[in-house]
Amino acid sequence: MLECKKITKRYGRKTAVDQVSFAIEPGRIYAMLGPNGSGKTTLMKMAVGLVKPDAGNFFYNGSPVDKNSRREVAYMSTEPYFYSWMTVKDVGRYYADFFEDFSEKRYQELLERMELTSDMRTKTLSSGMMAKLKIAVTMARSAKVYLLDEPLNGIDLLARDEIIASMMEAAAPDVALVISSHLVDELEKIVDTAIFIKQSHLAGVWEVKELQETQGKSVTDKYREIYGHGGEGYEKADEI
Amino acid sequence: MRKLMKYELRKTLFSKLILLAVTAVAEAAFLAGVFLKWDNGLGAGISVLMLCAMIGIFYIGIESLLVFHRDLNTKQSYMLFLTPKSSWQILGTKVLENGISIFITGLFFAALAAIDVSVAVLYIGGLQEFLDTVRRVTSMFRFEISVSSGDILIVFFSILSSWLMTITTGYLAIVLAATVLAGKRFSGLASFGLYLLITFGESELIGYLPDLGSLLANSGAVIAAGFALTGLMYGLSCWIMERKLSV
Repeated sequence: MLECKKITKRYGRKTAVDQVSFAIEPGRIYAMLGPNGSGKTTLMKMAVGLVKPDAGNFFYNGSPVDKNSRREVAYMSTEPYFYSWMTVKDVGRYYADFFEDFSEKRYQELLERMELTSDMRTKTLSSGMMAKLKIAVTMARSAKVYLLDEPLNGIDLLARDEIIASMMEAAAPDVALVISSHLVDELEKIVDTAIFIKQSHLAGVWEVKELQETQGKSVTDKYREIYGHGGEGYEKADEI
Repeated sequence: MRKLMKYELRKTLFSKLILLAVTAVAEAAFLAGVFLKWDNGLGAGISVLMLCAMIGIFYIGIESLLVFHRDLNTKQSYMLFLTPKSSWQILGTKVLENGISIFITGLFFAALAAIDVSVAVLYIGGLQEFLDTVRRVTSMFRFEISVSSGDILIVFFSILSSWLMTITTGYLAIVLAATVLAGKRFSGLASFGLYLLITFGESELIGYLPDLGSLLANSGAVIAAGFALTGLMYGLSCWIMERKLSV
């Protein structure tokens, strides 16, 4: 479905993503895990063409990602990006104008759940409200792949439940969700697969269930193992 | 492309509204000058209206570049580049929006000038008297213009070709700076430096055009070269945006 092959991105002397390969399959929910600066955001941005790789590429259904793949791949950035003159209603109109899979009805439902109103101006929203708006407008699309970069950042506990519920409602046999977050505990309950990124490399991809059954470990345990003391063996995984 | 156009026009709405507001004030002063025989108001109105027309059209001409620079160097770029539109469509819409905005602004000021002259003729008591009044108030110059339709066409295409070349050169400079500097602090200055450099290169290239013997042929060659360079700048910008630009 969505696959990256030996993808590399450098910013000057710093390598943000180094020779990473993995595949996202439909019907699954993925957690993309790793500390700040490990390369998760760069990877997601390359998947939608916002960042161009120096080597390798992302492929959607066998073709390099481009404007056509953006019709079916929804990305939620961690940074606010709406035009400053926009209201919450304008944001919905913008998405409706450009994405055929955008449902204004679903958007309204999500806004109500997130306690946002159409007349709110985006430039006056708090960071928590902005995070809710980003998730509402992204999840109002009926995309095939959702790439959600830190959707739970800056969100209080109760709103977090609403966001997780709205993400789960998008799960379907032909849909894949990739969620990056530092809140490993929260993600563990909902994901099927965990992708670990460490120091710009792929440290490994594990099925959550398999991890529990074969290694007796939770995703949190694995996270500690990889990024804590003694995680030196995970600098680079084989291609997956 | 219609949807992109809608939002490109919206991005420049604020400056157009300011221009409209200043023009409205100047127009009010002009009309007060005409109806109340208030020479100072008439003079100020005419001066500000002429300034609005000239500076307004110039600003709208370069505003597209300022907006494009912001589009590539802030997170707002995601609004454009997350849509299922190619760089060719995005940049093409920007060129079109700029052309339409300049054209409509020019048309607006031309229409306003025609209306103002008509109003003045009706209320001051004749074109000659109106022109005399204008001359007296502003101590204006005397123009004597004699043009053929061929001259008008050459001037029209010269303006079109040089505007297109200027705007696409500006886009290329901004794309190059954004690609290399990726939103860093001095990318605006770098864009301007690159713009001057590319413009110098273009004028050097045009300087190599052979003398074709007549003014018409030479003008035609310069216009054609301008269009060719426009195509090159536009193509290069889009290619870099598609392949190399990270926002």
